[in-house]
Formats: sequence, structure tokens, C-alpha cells
Amino acid sequence: MPLDLLSSIKGASSSEAVTELFSVIKKAVPENTKEGTQQPEKESVISVENLRSDEVKECPEIEKEIIRANFPKEKNGYLVVPKVIDD
Amino acid sequence: MESEIRKIHKQLRSGSISCTGLVNQKIKELEESPNNTANYLLAEYALERAAKVDRKLSEGEKIGLLEGIPFGVKDVYLLQGCNASGSSAILKGYIAPYTATAIQKLMDAGAIPVVKENCDSFGHGSSNENSAFGPARNALNEDLVPGGSSGGSAVNVAKGHTVFSIGGDTGGSIRQPAGFNRVYGLKPTYGRISRYGLMAYASSTDCVGPISKSLEDIRLLLNTMSGPDGHDQTTIASSGIPADIFSEEFPGKGFKLGYYKSFIENEHLDPGIRKNFLELIIRLKQQGLRVKQMDFFNTDVLVSTYYTLAMAETASNLARLDGMNYGERMTADTLKEGYALTRSVHFTEETKRRIVGGNQVLSLGHAEEIYLKARALRSQITGAFNRDFKEVDLIISPVSPGPPPKIGSSLDHPLEMYLSDAYTVGFSLGGLPTLTSPVGTETGIQITAPKNQEQVIFKFAKYLTGII
Repeated sequence: MPLDLLSSIKGASSSEAVTELFSVIKKAVPENTKEGTQQPEKESVISVENLRSDEVKECPEIEKEIIRANFPKEKNGYLVVPKVIDD
Repeated sequence: MESEIRKIHKQLRSGSISCTGLVNQKIKELEESPNNTANYLLAEYALERAAKVDRKLSEGEKIGLLEGIPFGVKDVYLLQGCNASGSSAILKGYIAPYTATAIQKLMDAGAIPVVKENCDSFGHGSSNENSAFGPARNALNEDLVPGGSSGGSAVNVAKGHTVFSIGGDTGGSIRQPAGFNRVYGLKPTYGRISRYGLMAYASSTDCVGPISKSLEDIRLLLNTMSGPDGHDQTTIASSGIPADIFSEEFPGKGFKLGYYKSFIENEHLDPGIRKNFLELIIRLKQQGLRVKQMDFFNTDVLVSTYYTLAMAETASNLARLDGMNYGERMTADTLKEGYALTRSVHFTEETKRRIVGGNQVLSLGHAEEIYLKARALRSQITGAFNRDFKEVDLIISPVSPGPPPKIGSSLDHPLEMYLSDAYTVGFSLGGLPTLTSPVGTETGIQITAPKNQEQVIFKFAKYLTGII
């Protein structure tokens, strides 16, 4: 898919500066098998024993009011969105 | 420098100043400042809280140490009922529906937010020029950039417009502006402070941290904001840094410090900063510390790895900004056209560059060649840190390759701006706690410890102030 569609930015194309950064990565040779390199990945994993409870929590009314006030377009308390979804 | 927080606390308790007077003074300074550090002043919000503190004091009630202390908040944090723009045009009218955990903890302790501070849009920048509010100006020389992305926050602290400020650091955004404005700035261990309510840039390295003129204040603020948070599953438990950490005797002889050869041999390093850094190394050796030069990755690999991953993450995080549910909306004939128009008009060039770069590395064909390789490199970098900290207690390094540039001189050279993060991004990839201390070189030095070893940084930073 073209970058402008992927990014939802008109006329988007790759930049010279960013391409330069990527070329450094392309040339680099990660030492995946070297001792110690696998450990950090394990360190960044979150334990399933420590996840928050899977339950719905009611949002305070003030938050709901502000969320509604932030609607870019509103009608009778509802968020107005463009009518046509083309694909 | 002595604790600003303790000094003001004493003044409030003794009645030599009132909280309302103090807050009014800070608001006035921010309003009149030529440094363009304030996106939104919180005058009414802050004065209401100040009046409550004054009422408590007049009734003879005790107040907490942070109660009534005015502080600044980088404009990437949510504060319920207040503007939160991320210094971007797309969110200029956005009102935060809830408050960030870190800011809430400070407010629960009684501190009073007085300003939402200028910064690079969504944290995208190292100079604070990439802002919908215009560039902030350096506290020491208004012709120079203040650094970024937390530029407004560092300037406010340096000029005394806020007693402390809360910045955000993804790849150096607290540490570099702290160095450019000669104040302390701490990026804590990743996960030590909750990111809930911080606008996400690159979630795997985003950190909340304090900026202050005083090391003791950095300690107090770190302790106040730290701790697990159910709203942020990456938060970790940590122990508070004890108050007597600064009175403990520094081990001195036998203490092991490391510094990276590739950082010092970097051809882009300013000769003055290199000279001062190496003089500091000699000084530390003379004091009996064991200082070791170590091999590490070249800075271009660190910068490229960081930006590849950060761009991929920001492309995903900012996908939500399309003008549909909140923010500025541009209308068009179709939904997709509306998204594209909204984002094209309201994002800055730098933000667009990073989103496009992120989508590029995540797209089919590039993911294996670039994104997954960058992840493997990150693993390798983290592994190298783990090995290095088996040999040394701390790593010290310059904060930036050069002094702050003139405003307007770097905006058209994005690659140069990316490369100026050479010394900060590696520690972000490792999730390591790193403090900028405003000593040693023109832009200070960085002190890095293993994860959750902030107390070692504090001890050494205090020791440094005694020998420099």
C-alpha cells in the first residue's frame, strides 16, 4: 500500500534523512546468538500473574461530559461522523 | 543547590510569603517571559488551590512539604478540565477528560500546576522548534534553542518561573534540555513512574521525569510520583530513595565508573565538550575512583535503532488522531479523504516525517529488513548494558555532542537533529535511569545506573558537586 494511504497523509513519501537512518540498520549485523542478547527480551515481558482484573469500570460523569464536549461535531448529544464509508 | 521546595515550604509556614502571592508571581513571570515557554497558563485553576492553602495556614493547620508549591507540566500530560495540546495544532482546542497519574500524585501531595509548557509537538524534536506555539527560547541565551522536546519545562525551571517541572523523556527529551539550560533532569528507570495520561510517543521508551535546580528536589519528586499503577501495566514497584542518601559517605576509592570510547571518539563531538569531559575523567581518577574506558556501539547505530523503533511506535500511537472523535476536524467528501486532510493540515512536517517513516518500516518487505533488525539490535544493546554493569557501578557520558544551536539553524536538517541525540537514545533503549547533572561540560554530564539503582546516581551526583 502506498505510504500516503498507510499514513493518511497527503503526498507522503519517504524522506532522505529517514532513509539514511534505515540504511545504517540495513548494514548492521545483529549478533542474535551472542550470549546475553536473549535475556533482555525476557526482562521486558509482563507476567500474566500481574495483569489488572478484566472488568468494566464505569467512567466518572465528569469524564463523559468532557469527552462529549471534545466532539468535533455534535448533534443532540451525539457525535456526528461523515456519512459515507466507501470501502 | 539547596532544596527549593523545602525553602518555599519554610517561607509558607513562617508566613513570610502567601501561597496566593507566590502563585500570582509565577503566573506574572510566565506571562511576561520572552522565552515563550507557556502554552496555557492555569491562573484560575492554580489560584483557587492557592487560596485553600492560605486558608489552611491562617487556621494554623499543618501543610505537607509539596503543598502550595507551584510547578509546570509539559503540555503532553492530561490535567482534567485543562487544555492538552501536545504543542500540536490538531489538539489546540482539546480539553483533558482525566488527569495523568504522575501529575495526580503531585496534586494529591498539594503541589499546584500553574502552566502547560511548550515542547516539540508530541515530543517529536530536540530543539522545541517543532511546536504549533512557536519555538521556546533558551534560558541562558534567547537566540539559542532550549533543547527538546521538554524545552519549555527546562527553561521555566532555569529561570525560576516554576519551582520544578515535569517533563517527558522518550530518547533524551528531559536530559538534553536540562543540559542546555543547566539544571538537573532525571529520566527514571522505565516503568518506575506511570505513563497513564501522558500522550504516547514511543510507548516502549516513554518516561515521566522531574526537572529541577536541586538534586534533593529531584529525589522528593521521584519518590512522590513512583509506583505501580493499574492504568499502566508496564509500571514496576520500587523503593523510595531515603532522605539521608546525600549525607551518606561516598565510597570514593574503589568506586567503578565506565565511559564509552565510541562516544568520546565521535567526530561530531564538540572539542570543548570532549576536553572538559576528559578533564573530568582525570579528576575522578585523581580522587581514587576506578574509571574504565569501555567499548560500545557506534552512535549512528544507537540513533538509527532508536529512531526506527520510535517512528514505528509513533505511527501506531498517532493513528488515533484523525479528527473524528476529538481534535480539529477537516471535512471532505469521503471519510478517508477527511482523515488525510485533517492529518496533512494539522501535523507538523517533523511529525509527518516520523509517521511516514514508521509506516515505511512496518510495511510488508521492510519489516524484516529494518524493523525486526532494529528490535534485534535493541536486544543486543540492552545485553551489552547488562554486561557492562557487571564491571562498573555507573556509566558517565556527555549529554549532547554540541552546545545548543541558534534558533532556526537546525529545523531544515532533520538528520543532524536526529544525530544530536547520539548520547541519550542508547540509555532509553535500555530503559536505564539516567540523570543530567549540570556540571562537567557546557551541557552537563549524564550519569547512568542499572535499572532501579537511582540511589547510586544520587550519591554520585552529590559527590560530583563537591569535587567540581
